[in-house]
Amino acid sequence: MKPLRLAIAGLTACSGCQLSLLNCEQELPQMLERIEFHFFPMACSPAILEGEYDATLVEGCLSMPHELDLLLALRQHSRYLIAVGTCAAWGGVAALRNGENREELRQSVYGSSTATSGSFSPQPLHAMVAVDAFICGCPPEKEELLNLIGDLLRGALPSPISHPVCSDCQMRENLCLLTERSALCLGPLTLGGCGARCPSLEVPCEGCRGPVPEANLSEALELYLQKGYDHAAVLGRLRRFCPEWKS
Amino acid sequence: MNASLPVPATITTIRPLTDDTTLYTLDCGLNTQNNGVASFLPGQFLELSLPGIGEVPISYCGFPSAGGAIELCIRHVGHVTTPLNRSVAGDAVGVRGPFGHGFPLDSYENQDLLLIAGGLGMAPLRSLLLALLNQRQRWGELTLLYGAREQGALLFLEELLQLAKRNDIQVQLAVDRLEHCLEGPPNCRVALLPALLEQLTIRPDRTCAALCGPPVVYPYLVSGLKRIGLPDERIHLSLERRMKCGVGRCGHCAVGTFLCCCDGPVFNYAQLAGIEGALA
Amino acid sequence: MPAHFLATKALEKLLSLLRKQGELHAPQRGDDGVLRFALLKAGDSPDLDALRTQLPPKKYLLHPRETILTYRAGSGYQEPQGRSSPLILFGVHPCDLAGIDYLDRLFLGDAPDPTYAARRAALTLIGLSCFPDNLCSCHLHPSTLKASCDLYLQRQEEGFVITSGSLQGTELLEKLKEIIEERDLPIPEDTRRFFGRQLPPPSQSELDAAMPDWQELANHCLGCGACSICCPTCACFDVLEFGGLDGSSSERLRCWDNCLFKSHAEVAGGMSFQKNRAERFRYRYRHKYRGFGQLKNIPSCVGCGRCRAACPAGLDLRTLAERLERGNP
Repeated sequence: MKPLRLAIAGLTACSGCQLSLLNCEQELPQMLERIEFHFFPMACSPAILEGEYDATLVEGCLSMPHELDLLLALRQHSRYLIAVGTCAAWGGVAALRNGENREELRQSVYGSSTATSGSFSPQPLHAMVAVDAFICGCPPEKEELLNLIGDLLRGALPSPISHPVCSDCQMRENLCLLTERSALCLGPLTLGGCGARCPSLEVPCEGCRGPVPEANLSEALELYLQKGYDHAAVLGRLRRFCPEWKS
Repeated sequence: MNASLPVPATITTIRPLTDDTTLYTLDCGLNTQNNGVASFLPGQFLELSLPGIGEVPISYCGFPSAGGAIELCIRHVGHVTTPLNRSVAGDAVGVRGPFGHGFPLDSYENQDLLLIAGGLGMAPLRSLLLALLNQRQRWGELTLLYGAREQGALLFLEELLQLAKRNDIQVQLAVDRLEHCLEGPPNCRVALLPALLEQLTIRPDRTCAALCGPPVVYPYLVSGLKRIGLPDERIHLSLERRMKCGVGRCGHCAVGTFLCCCDGPVFNYAQLAGIEGALA
Repeated sequence: MPAHFLATKALEKLLSLLRKQGELHAPQRGDDGVLRFALLKAGDSPDLDALRTQLPPKKYLLHPRETILTYRAGSGYQEPQGRSSPLILFGVHPCDLAGIDYLDRLFLGDAPDPTYAARRAALTLIGLSCFPDNLCSCHLHPSTLKASCDLYLQRQEEGFVITSGSLQGTELLEKLKEIIEERDLPIPEDTRRFFGRQLPPPSQSELDAAMPDWQELANHCLGCGACSICCPTCACFDVLEFGGLDGSSSERLRCWDNCLFKSHAEVAGGMSFQKNRAERFRYRYRHKYRGFGQLKNIPSCVGCGRCRAACPAGLDLRTLAERLERGNP
């Protein structure tokens, strides 16, 4: 079997998604037998972008011109481009304050430094390039990353998930925090696949995996309202990971 | 016997038919050891496993009695069929089947047969066509209408043009547009299938129609056939659904109260009339 | 004829006898307040008043996510090795027993599913009577499903009338001789049936025509899937395959699926035969009332009330039934 030529890049993000892959310590030796990491600046040096890639995994959102240049170059030379993590897929926490004055935000953090000049409102990858598959999560589950590698080794893309966190949660026979505790649990609106990691520990879902397809936002908002939460609080919670939520 | 367990098969030949569609021949081993996967009726389907990727329902495309060898015509569009495009001869796959009801060949005895295929729908109808031609004397007049987007998308074109030279079958091809060529192949017109249908003369009381095409075309074809007098029972359609298990359990392929994997995939229109969403 | 009577204080002896037959599971309330079927350790008591566990016993027969095949280069696809060890479920109510009957018909019919068959053969069912609450509708939905079990405990004051429903049950009764009293009590005519009045099922046309407001109902549905997951007879499954990092081996998994999810009727290329939530929502109702395939015309709602309890929006099958009744007095 021909080795898989892989590029892994990080844009505006915390590097946690790439770290999740590197944390697969048990599996890394086996991966190295099958995968050529040609461009993986976080883990391998030197990181030189050259040749064609079977697949590129990109963590993080776009907020700087050089990131856009890198992304376009990777897209051009990759058969598959995969958004890894909620930032890459939806903008994520970096996009939390999109809509506010960018320059004011920049100055409040960086003062007069020019290090971040040219930065723009953080965008998910699909705002700029075609994305072949999305792996959501903050960070994604280890299992999802390993399954992604397994698929890519065989020339396949992962099957998209279409179930919400509630489904994972119910399957584990957890207490429903939304109905039984009236908690602001975003499970019904959030993409599943995490095995309801937080609700299983009685922590309400924070929505870190972004929206589930065809999420019924209006009805959910109605329900949260009945439970005493106002729209602004719910939308604020939702937009923590995905600025695209609109009421 | 575990109906979910595929038997091993080997890809023996790979013949690209169009940009995105390939004809595979699989060797399924001895008929005594393959759970009968190579003994099928035209219109039935099997579940093809690509190890490491998953399983996908595919219609049989070849001649039914070719022992141990089966032909599958596959468009590379899905989770399994896209990576299948990387396969080479000699690769191992898994197969299980046959599943479902095929075309009711016995009821076709002495009948005129009108086969209408759209796009990839030619795959299962080729199986039917080969079966019909193999016992040509059993049936009345044979007509095939086959339409595709463009000439490059017509499957089995050479084979069909050869057939068109025979005097015991009428073959009419159609494309939605000519694309890059100035004129299409012989027997080919720029037209949509329902338009071809309107120009046909058939004997409604002794004709059966076998249809396979994309869902979008079915309502037009069915109303066209009804307009030229064909009763619902004489219109047989092969439906596409997400047949995951093949044995009536997984619940993904319901058509009204029918399950496409067991009650279909070939239905007569009398069964489907009145079922919302059955056709498209 | 005198009835076999087991005094409440002798229950522990029955439970220890059952533990000798295999792993004993029974309804228990967790620290989080959730009622679940779970391992009943020696010394622990089952919750005899538990009306509905959050998940029905189907979780034992069809695991939410399980490996059904493995693939290795050379040996091809193989069934996983391993046998089902004996499992005893104590305190299964008639609705859940009927639910198991439905699953039996689905998975043990033509070409029985080996994984299910092995688990089912290793399962002993001890039924327990109950009283319906306002979420139950076992008395509203007619059913041809049978609530069969090995032993059935009909609750009385200070104890239970025990009847056997199988050879295994009769053998168990034999072993219980010492703790069973013969009392002159009326033996319930058929303890394992649904109780209450029987209504005819809604007809096909009623399901379709009398409900012009499917969209309105579906608007309330969050699509969370809780109703199907907790349903004793919902058994749709997806099959997924995950390839190993060695590039050749793989595992094929069967996972609970859900007709309320967008992917349920999608085919390659993205076309779906249940295009929106309203269609999927109606599909679920139709399936429950009409069945399909080999279980056509077998309504599969057993009236356990779980979907209503679980639905964040308060929807359930009974809402539909009530509307149908109102529309067709």
